[in-house]
Amino acid sequence: MNELMEYMPFLIPVIILELVLMVTALVHVVRHPDYRFGNRIFWILIVMFIQFLGPVVYFVFGRGDE
Amino acid sequence: MMNVLEIQHLSKQFGTHQVLRDLTFQVPEHSVYGFLGQNGAGKTTTMKIILGLLKADKGEVKVLGETVRYGFAKTNRRVGYLPDVPEFYGYMKAEQYLRLCGEITGLSAKEICSRSEELLSLVGLSEEKKKIRGYSRGMKQRLGIAQALLNEPGLLICDEPTSALDPLGRKEILDILSKVREKTTVLFSTHVLSDVERICDRAAVLKDGSLALSGSLEELKAQHRKDSLCLETGTPGGQKLLESEFQKKGYVFGVEKKNGVLIFHTSDMARLETELMICMTEHNICPLKMEVQKPTLENLFMEVIS
Amino acid sequence: MRAYWAFTKKELLESICTYKLLILGCIFLMFGFMNPFIAKITPELVKSFMPGGISIDLPAPSAADSWMQFFKNVPQMGLVVLAILFSGMMAGEIQKGTLILMVTKGLSRTAVLCSKFTVAVLLWTVSYAVCTGVTYGYTVYFWKTKDIDHLMPALLGVWLFGVLLLASDLLGSVISKSSYSSLLFTGIMVAVMFLLNIVPRIRKFNPMRLVSEPYGLITGALKTSDFSRSFLMTGVLLLILLVLSGIAFQKKQL
Repeated sequence: MNELMEYMPFLIPVIILELVLMVTALVHVVRHPDYRFGNRIFWILIVMFIQFLGPVVYFVFGRGDE
Repeated sequence: MMNVLEIQHLSKQFGTHQVLRDLTFQVPEHSVYGFLGQNGAGKTTTMKIILGLLKADKGEVKVLGETVRYGFAKTNRRVGYLPDVPEFYGYMKAEQYLRLCGEITGLSAKEICSRSEELLSLVGLSEEKKKIRGYSRGMKQRLGIAQALLNEPGLLICDEPTSALDPLGRKEILDILSKVREKTTVLFSTHVLSDVERICDRAAVLKDGSLALSGSLEELKAQHRKDSLCLETGTPGGQKLLESEFQKKGYVFGVEKKNGVLIFHTSDMARLETELMICMTEHNICPLKMEVQKPTLENLFMEVIS
Repeated sequence: MRAYWAFTKKELLESICTYKLLILGCIFLMFGFMNPFIAKITPELVKSFMPGGISIDLPAPSAADSWMQFFKNVPQMGLVVLAILFSGMMAGEIQKGTLILMVTKGLSRTAVLCSKFTVAVLLWTVSYAVCTGVTYGYTVYFWKTKDIDHLMPALLGVWLFGVLLLASDLLGSVISKSSYSSLLFTGIMVAVMFLLNIVPRIRKFNPMRLVSEPYGLITGALKTSDFSRSFLMTGVLLLILLVLSGIAFQKKQL
């Protein structure tokens, strides 16, 4: 418990960062239904369950062109 | 009358394919100039050379008196260009896009405001609040025109502006183009003849990379004035007789036979008609159908390119 | 000049709308947290992986360890991400044809390149500063020491190498048609530098040094003057890449 408290200054901002990314990516996945590959369910799972890298991969590789 | 565009001895080769050979023509001020030709005749290539987007192998292009140099955009500030499929930044709104164009082309903030408002209402997009990525083909084409006209260009170049549109969209674009003719000179390429007949006052026909025909629409029609007369007869033997008889006459250029119909090309329609009638009565030939054909741009075009 | 600003503004807007700023910011922010965290947690991890009964004396992590993580993670992962994200900086627009309308409105090609490069460097600088700031903040918070020797030149070196990568992305993306081949171009450039690093005499001039050995500065094994040739070389290479991009783009068919 003591150790956990010590890591709090890291954990809180990292969790916030992950949440922000996840929510932005999730909103984008839902609102723009055309992807370079994969489908909506696939991307929702990726974005929600792969921490940090999921949203990044979605924005860089999965996001469809306009 | 000043020439807005002068093209001298332009040649361009792609690999082994000679696209343009020694193309020379001028576009006078305040005209709507139709640039005709089949697909692959070299229309787009010519336009891209005028805009400095392609390098010519030989020849010179002058826009409003200034020579165009490949890769440099100086002459472009006085030209408006609408590509066949204009591509915009999808995340912008029409107004934002026009502001960007205005700043690039060197308009003042005030001019940008008034011009873009004016143009958006001209092309019917002033109420549009969507981002450009949500636009239809026709809307993009209209925004393309607004963008091209923003800098009050001395020359507006449109590459097949109507080819991808439905009849309604096509009418809208043509209306806009003929509206702007008072302020600027328009050069537009097309393979649709009815578009040319509707709004152009001059036209040029491109064939195999060189000019096959050019001039004002009236001139073109007059030059190639070959009235013709179609005749269907009920007496089979009579056709041969009429053909040989009339081929000899001085005012008849030629007689063709197509699907059992005789076509006479003549410079004197009235005389042909009377003499045909007399001839038919003399030899007891019964006419089934007689029809006079006026020259159309379509016939002219087909004649030139085939 | 006005056209340059206008196009630069458009580039900035684009990097926001295409989520480039967000991704870059988040990744480097994450690195910023990771560096001190890994430094702090490493001894604990080593301890828990040791078989029971054996106890080894590990020195307590120091502020220098946190910066060592920084100079390991940012060049190894951060710069790769940077090179990937900007590999399509020209290719996308050339492929789509959006530049045609800009150029036919009178935008000079030099201005296009300058704007693209300015914004790329700006984004890199901002995310790098964020990363550095976070690592710095946590390091000071945990280890209470502000003074790290030669931190500034070490930081500057990594930053400059990032700028070099962006310039090589730019050239690669001007001379090729797709973003993949532009990435390949940058990759080859880095690989060549890696190979040249084997030769000790070239090593002193190699830009690679800026990212492979900045930690030597912090430990005091190397002096700032040892890096001056690498800095100079990087600057020269950067200029060459930019001038070549300019020449190549002038000839490029849009």
